[in-house]
Amino acid sequence: VRRYVVRRLALLVPVLLGVSVIIFMVLHLSPGDPAEIMLGSQATQADLDRLRAELGLTEPLYVQYVHWLGLVARGDLGRSIWMKRPVLGEVLGRFKATLILTGAALVLSTAVGLALGIASAVRPNSPLDRLSAVASLFGASMPVFWLGIVLMVIFALWLGWLPASGMFAPYGGGDLRDLLVHLALPAVTLAAASVTIIARLTRSTMLETLGQDYIRTARAKGVVERAVVLRHGLKNALIPIVTVVGVQAGYLLGGAVLTETVFAWPGVGTLMVQGILARDFPLVQGCVLVVALSFVLINLIVDLLYAWLDPRIRYE
Amino acid sequence: MKIGVVWRALVVAMIGLVAPAVSAWAQPAGTLLVGLVAEPVNLDPAQVTDLNSNRVGRRIVETLVTFPEESTQVVPGLAESWTISKDGLRYTFKLRRGVTFHDGTPFNAEAVKFSIERQIDPEHPFNKLGKYPFANYFFGNVKAVEAVDPATAEFVLKEPRASFLTILTSAAASIVSPTAVKKFGADYALQPVGTGPFKYASWDRGQRVVLEKNPSYWRYPVKIERVVYRPIVEGQARLTELLTGSLDLIVDVPPDFVTQVESSPKATLQKQVGAHVWYLGINNQKKPFDDKRVRQALNYAVNKEAIVRDVLKGTGSLSRGPVLPATWGADSGLKPYPYDPERAKKLLAEAGYPSGFSTTLWVPESGSGMQSPVPMSTVIQSNLKAVGVSVTLQTMEWGAYLAKLRTKEQELFALSWMAGNEDPDMVMYPLLHSSQWTPAGPNRALYKNERFDELLQQARLTTDQGKRAALYREAQRILVDDPPWIFIDHEIQTAALAKRVQGFKLHPSFDLRVETISLK
Repeated sequence: VRRYVVRRLALLVPVLLGVSVIIFMVLHLSPGDPAEIMLGSQATQADLDRLRAELGLTEPLYVQYVHWLGLVARGDLGRSIWMKRPVLGEVLGRFKATLILTGAALVLSTAVGLALGIASAVRPNSPLDRLSAVASLFGASMPVFWLGIVLMVIFALWLGWLPASGMFAPYGGGDLRDLLVHLALPAVTLAAASVTIIARLTRSTMLETLGQDYIRTARAKGVVERAVVLRHGLKNALIPIVTVVGVQAGYLLGGAVLTETVFAWPGVGTLMVQGILARDFPLVQGCVLVVALSFVLINLIVDLLYAWLDPRIRYE
Repeated sequence: MKIGVVWRALVVAMIGLVAPAVSAWAQPAGTLLVGLVAEPVNLDPAQVTDLNSNRVGRRIVETLVTFPEESTQVVPGLAESWTISKDGLRYTFKLRRGVTFHDGTPFNAEAVKFSIERQIDPEHPFNKLGKYPFANYFFGNVKAVEAVDPATAEFVLKEPRASFLTILTSAAASIVSPTAVKKFGADYALQPVGTGPFKYASWDRGQRVVLEKNPSYWRYPVKIERVVYRPIVEGQARLTELLTGSLDLIVDVPPDFVTQVESSPKATLQKQVGAHVWYLGINNQKKPFDDKRVRQALNYAVNKEAIVRDVLKGTGSLSRGPVLPATWGADSGLKPYPYDPERAKKLLAEAGYPSGFSTTLWVPESGSGMQSPVPMSTVIQSNLKAVGVSVTLQTMEWGAYLAKLRTKEQELFALSWMAGNEDPDMVMYPLLHSSQWTPAGPNRALYKNERFDELLQQARLTTDQGKRAALYREAQRILVDDPPWIFIDHEIQTAALAKRVQGFKLHPSFDLRVETISLK
């Protein structure tokens, strides 16, 4: 297993290189550059030329890329063109907020999704099953943007139970409770679509598993129903579910940007969008690298989980 | 089952933690909470070009000359008085004595020299530590800045330019503490030091910028302890935060929320027309637009009142030209083009297009000062359709749009200009003088009228404001007869205030002057 992990980690390097080349090309080949956007509608040709030269944009693309790569090799992602800040610290700081949000959404969607799925599978076509099917349809078809605003209007504006935006109270605050209160609405918003997917998948795989011979055997030998469902049923149904949860983790990480925007959550998604709009090359590249890295790591973790769930799986 | 017990305990704990939250966010005393549309980029006004950064940064640093509370006339700031030499080339400023920067450095002529020269002199030791996008635009005409004595600073110009005082009110002309720039280097932009009513305190990225009051502010005692700026992009979130008491002041209330704020007992709405113009540019060199009758026809065809009323919900004032009405350079006799589709059709027929023509209109999805570009352009499209001009809308992302406008391929295009001051030179010259044709300058309509060019040049060389005004009034009349654009509107800025906020006024320059506020 250790050799497998080392090999997978070694594969990270070409993957990240590939990602960085693609993102570099896409950014530089799209129309408009940082100088253009900085000067906006007041731009004169003289100012543009001067600013482009100062920003090093007049060099050939491969020179700019190699220069950036050199910096990265030394563990420095450069300074943001707009914010004048070192990119690394900025991205890591924002990534933490995104991790908290996606982590909460993932825990929420997995817990609720599993519970709904199991309940539906144990009593198929019961009122609960039907209700969860309808709810799933809603969850899957509601745009994040809209759901976020609806939740905000209900729970913040009308009921006044929860704050509308931000990660902490505007001034003072900063403790765990403050964080949880602010986390509630964005986490639920972000989790909604994933709950649906996980619930539906759990239901179908559980239905299949519960029809297996070994389940009948377990029941025959007098195992309590709860243990039958959870230990004999769920654990064997988990492999496809874990795969989907892993995919969802990546999806949530990338999909957090809308939720972050609605709730002014200080995550890496909003930072990346700002960076793209401003053509802030070092900043966007830094963000993408960090996100890509975590994506690859999540996949690795999912692959390792398989062996734990099903000891028959071996890593070559 | 053990797991079940743990789960239940966890859920109960969570509810216990979250439930009493309702009363948790009482407003801290003396702290003003402001909601911005976007996070400041950095806080050195010489290094930023966006409104949000300047709205925060300009609380920290100040300029030699400034605007009074309710207008954009030039009045003393860090300079007490000034004289202009007869040839218009030397501006000598008597500086205010006894003013110090937040870090204790005395404010003097050396600081003035340092603040400007770091931007324009490539040999200056601190030039390379920052990027100054507008250095050339504003100070390209400055030959030297001289510190005559500690309390006298002199600007020497390459050629006379009557709007130079107005230029010195701009954010880029802010006076910074030389000690702080030397100490922080490239990081200065993140923690600027000036003479302003507030000093920099802290910045949690993506969450808030905190400024503390300057207890020894030279102008007057500041009545609030600190300002917290929060970036909230989504309009509904900003409004909700205000109505639930988590913010005291928000700017740029989206037009669709204006009525909601006006009818709320918890907030007051404030409006103020800004030094801005939104126009539909026309490529004056392309057929059929090179015929002024066609451009007149387009102006008659568009229903500006409907745009302002229905799309902008009253957050715009009709434009009759580039100059803001009711300022010294404006021609009060000028009338906006009336909505008259019949007249438009007649003019088109006279110009040889009795059955109209087809064209394209480029529109950015968003952008600084662009108000609601796509809905506004859609109304314009249908107005033009009614007189036989069939328009294809092409929407673009802001950066791509700016690049595309430099190709000179545009036919019709939506754009705005936020001068932030009332000097006609600062809006008419860059946008309409023929020396400023894109890509060299911002005249993207490729407008050229010889008499107009002459008048603007003459006005630049005249220091007497009365005489300049006469020249600009004639220039504006030319623009009505030979229109370069379809004139649309001047933005009316909006702010919503919580009831405890007193003494705040929106400023026509788009600055956000929270230093006058006191909290009930």
